[in-house]
Amino acid sequence: MRSSYRLLTWLQNAAVYLVLSLFAGLMLFPFIYMLTTSFKTPADTFRYPPRLLPRDQVFTRVPGYEGELPLYYGVVNGERRPMALVQNSIRVGVFAEPSRLEQTLTVPLDQVQATGATLTVNGEALEVFRVPVEGGTTVEMVKLSQTALGRFVDPQDPTITILQNTRTSTPVERLALHPENYAQVIALRGMDRALTNTTLVTLLVMFGQLATSVLGGYAFARLRFPGRDTLFTVYLGTIMIPFVVLITPLYQIMVAIGWVDHLASLIIPWIFTAYGTFLMRQFFITFPKEIEEAALIDGASRLEILRRIILPASTPAMATLATFTFLYAWNSFFWPLVIINTGNEANHVLTLALNVLRGRAVDSPNLLLAGAAIAILPPMVIFILGQRFFVESATSSGVKG
Amino acid sequence: MKNLSIDTQLRLLFLWQAALCLAALFGGLWVFFSAPWGALARYGVGLPLLLAGAAAGLSAWDIRQRRHRGRVLAIAVNYLGLLAAGVGALHVLGIFLGIDALAGTFGRGILWLLLALGALFIGGLGERLEYRPQLARRLQQGGRWMAALFGVIFLLRIGTLPALLWLLPRLLQPLPLGLLLAAALFGAALWLASRRPVANALHAGVLSDEAISGFLFLSPNLLGFLLFFAGPLIFSLYISFTDWDAFGTKNFVGLENYQKIIGLDLVALEAPDQAANTVIDVNRFSELARFNLLGRSYLLAATDKLFWISLRNTVQFVLMAVPLSVILALFLANLLNSNLPGMRVFRAMYFLPSVAAVVGIALIWQLLYNASIGYINYGITSAVNALNALFGTSLQDPAIRWLSSVDTALLSLVIMVVWQTVGFNTVLFLAGLTNIPTMLYEAATVDGAGKWAQFWNVTIPMLAPTTFFVVTTTTIQAMQLFDQVFILMNPPEGPNNATLTIVLYLYRSGFQNFRLGYGSAIAWILFALIFGVTLLQFQRQRSSQMEY
Repeated sequence: MRSSYRLLTWLQNAAVYLVLSLFAGLMLFPFIYMLTTSFKTPADTFRYPPRLLPRDQVFTRVPGYEGELPLYYGVVNGERRPMALVQNSIRVGVFAEPSRLEQTLTVPLDQVQATGATLTVNGEALEVFRVPVEGGTTVEMVKLSQTALGRFVDPQDPTITILQNTRTSTPVERLALHPENYAQVIALRGMDRALTNTTLVTLLVMFGQLATSVLGGYAFARLRFPGRDTLFTVYLGTIMIPFVVLITPLYQIMVAIGWVDHLASLIIPWIFTAYGTFLMRQFFITFPKEIEEAALIDGASRLEILRRIILPASTPAMATLATFTFLYAWNSFFWPLVIINTGNEANHVLTLALNVLRGRAVDSPNLLLAGAAIAILPPMVIFILGQRFFVESATSSGVKG
Repeated sequence: MKNLSIDTQLRLLFLWQAALCLAALFGGLWVFFSAPWGALARYGVGLPLLLAGAAAGLSAWDIRQRRHRGRVLAIAVNYLGLLAAGVGALHVLGIFLGIDALAGTFGRGILWLLLALGALFIGGLGERLEYRPQLARRLQQGGRWMAALFGVIFLLRIGTLPALLWLLPRLLQPLPLGLLLAAALFGAALWLASRRPVANALHAGVLSDEAISGFLFLSPNLLGFLLFFAGPLIFSLYISFTDWDAFGTKNFVGLENYQKIIGLDLVALEAPDQAANTVIDVNRFSELARFNLLGRSYLLAATDKLFWISLRNTVQFVLMAVPLSVILALFLANLLNSNLPGMRVFRAMYFLPSVAAVVGIALIWQLLYNASIGYINYGITSAVNALNALFGTSLQDPAIRWLSSVDTALLSLVIMVVWQTVGFNTVLFLAGLTNIPTMLYEAATVDGAGKWAQFWNVTIPMLAPTTFFVVTTTTIQAMQLFDQVFILMNPPEGPNNATLTIVLYLYRSGFQNFRLGYGSAIAWILFALIFGVTLLQFQRQRSSQMEY
């Protein structure tokens, strides 16, 4: 009874892990695909069936031949082994003796001699050639068909050669990364500048918003002034308003100030948010008042209290807000799209650069995904380092409030 | 100034306020009536100036009468003046536009910035070494010095010196110099007004001091909020009643935009295939749909067909994406809510898509959805082949053209968005689940309730607030779908407008066809929809809470 119960629990846990792993695979796969594809050659990305890992064809040197030669698998004496392609598109004919049509021989056309005669086999007129066979003799054979093949030699023993269709041969490959894709995409679309732009914008928005939110949140939480509660209600009410409502007038304000096409337009309007103020206020309000009152009696100013007492104790709340703002600023797309001109590449942020890069999807997915990786990886690395605050920022955005 | 008698100080303040009043009033009137600026700047500068003038006058009068209100107003006016002059000086000097130049050189210094932060962090570690005070002090000092050194190198690397050299001659030009001078004067007046003797002479109370610091603390946020949020909001509402087209025309047209957007016409047809132009005014309306009801054929026509298409697409998207994302998240959260090891790792993995840039994600999915070489179709083909081989069936490979087929374009978006949002929602549900007291489950077990009954009778009701929040935020986000469509689909509106969403249509109208008034009206309709949906959910949540 007891052991069967244990078995049941074990099975149940195994099922839970199985389902969770399945979903984890689904969640991670696009990112894995992005990373591996970003290290591929363009030709490798268009292969069907698709393969996850980047591979390169292996090249080798063969004594007696010039340069690096690509390796393919070939069958010699019933054995599969790597063979080097030494000559492509050799025109060959498939020949057979008229008496034994099923036993064919494939010979390059430059090694046979036309007799000029034709022979009708099975109602088809076939040309007759003199074909050299083993032993140095020639035999008259009819040409059944002709095609183009590649000549392959065994790198270990260059005397062994075979003829084989190059297109249907399997290339010998090994895993190989192409990190130069990243250098290429950076050079192509100024992704390095876009990266610094995004970093700068994100940092300034983050710190600016932290500063105004801490000050405003403290005022809402602790200081009594006329109209405070009404104002706070107004703040709360605006959190739900979608950004698109503001986009036209905000654009006009940017025109009036002269910030269109400049990074300032991506920073300054975003450092004053009702949401951040709300978040900080909710945190400060849980703070015991007594310490503050004692400090006030000791003659500390409000700013000193905020700096020396409140802030050191609010790191979690501030980190949460910082995380939230970081993600928002780093990933924002609509506003930059509207306000930064497509032609002004120096002021592109990453998302805009990716939007321009999108046109390259047709010919080089590897570059496209290298660009995507540049945009996606920094927040991910920060997420992995500070996971706690990300999860906090998700949950504190409403469930607790 | 400290040596001056309190009467002189008050007289000085009075004179300054009176002068300010006159200057602001005259300046305001000039800006309002004869400045060669656009309407926005005229109202935006003129009205505040007039208000400031009135406030300064009132404050001067009050100070004369020794009323405390005068001090409050003086502080307000001078503080705002200080801010305006300071920000104005920064603006005129081109500091804000200088951010662009900073971005150009910022990359060179980023390493040193990181080093400086690292040094600060190491110095901060010193505080933890309380048991070895000497080492702690050394560590703190060393960290601070290193941080300062790296900070200076950072400033040098990003080109602070050339920037200062460039700035210095500009400082001496009349406009920046005047603004800086004005800022200094405002600052001095502010300092004077906030001094204790002046406060005492004007009978300041503790409460009013607190109120003043309250407003000062809130002011950066509040001013920014007014300038970049509340102001634009009102402006946006006004624009939506005009036919502004960004080329100069701006006439007040009342509700015309709204009427045009949502205008519908329903007519009964004599025959199902009757030509549309025989029943509707084709100059105004275009056919939206035909349908049969109780044996009669009807034709539905709209003044703005594209809006209704975008509304239909958005609603379809919301109805598919939100339930999928929420139910899947609830399922995953329940699986994760156990004491088994490794749950945090799974939670982190599920959360990953929500930290990644939507634009990058859409690029990845665009390739995954590729009909010929994409992984999704490859997976389907493999699955079909495997099934055929295993069971001897003869299933057809559907070979779906995900993004270019009218039937699957919106579905592709749904799948991608669900994939992207489900982890975030899972984390929210997980937080909700851990808040449910275990006592409730124990009680349910004692009552003989099985796992399933516990889920329905304990988990779901207790999770209602979380569910409300998750559903509401997911819906609000889904209704504003834009980034994903814009990148994933090419063209963004998809095949035959299959993925034209409301925000995409708004972007088209406002920023590609430059019909700003029309676009704003669409935005307000979207807001009304979002508001309505949220209110509805709020009501439902409230009524469902009544039951428990």
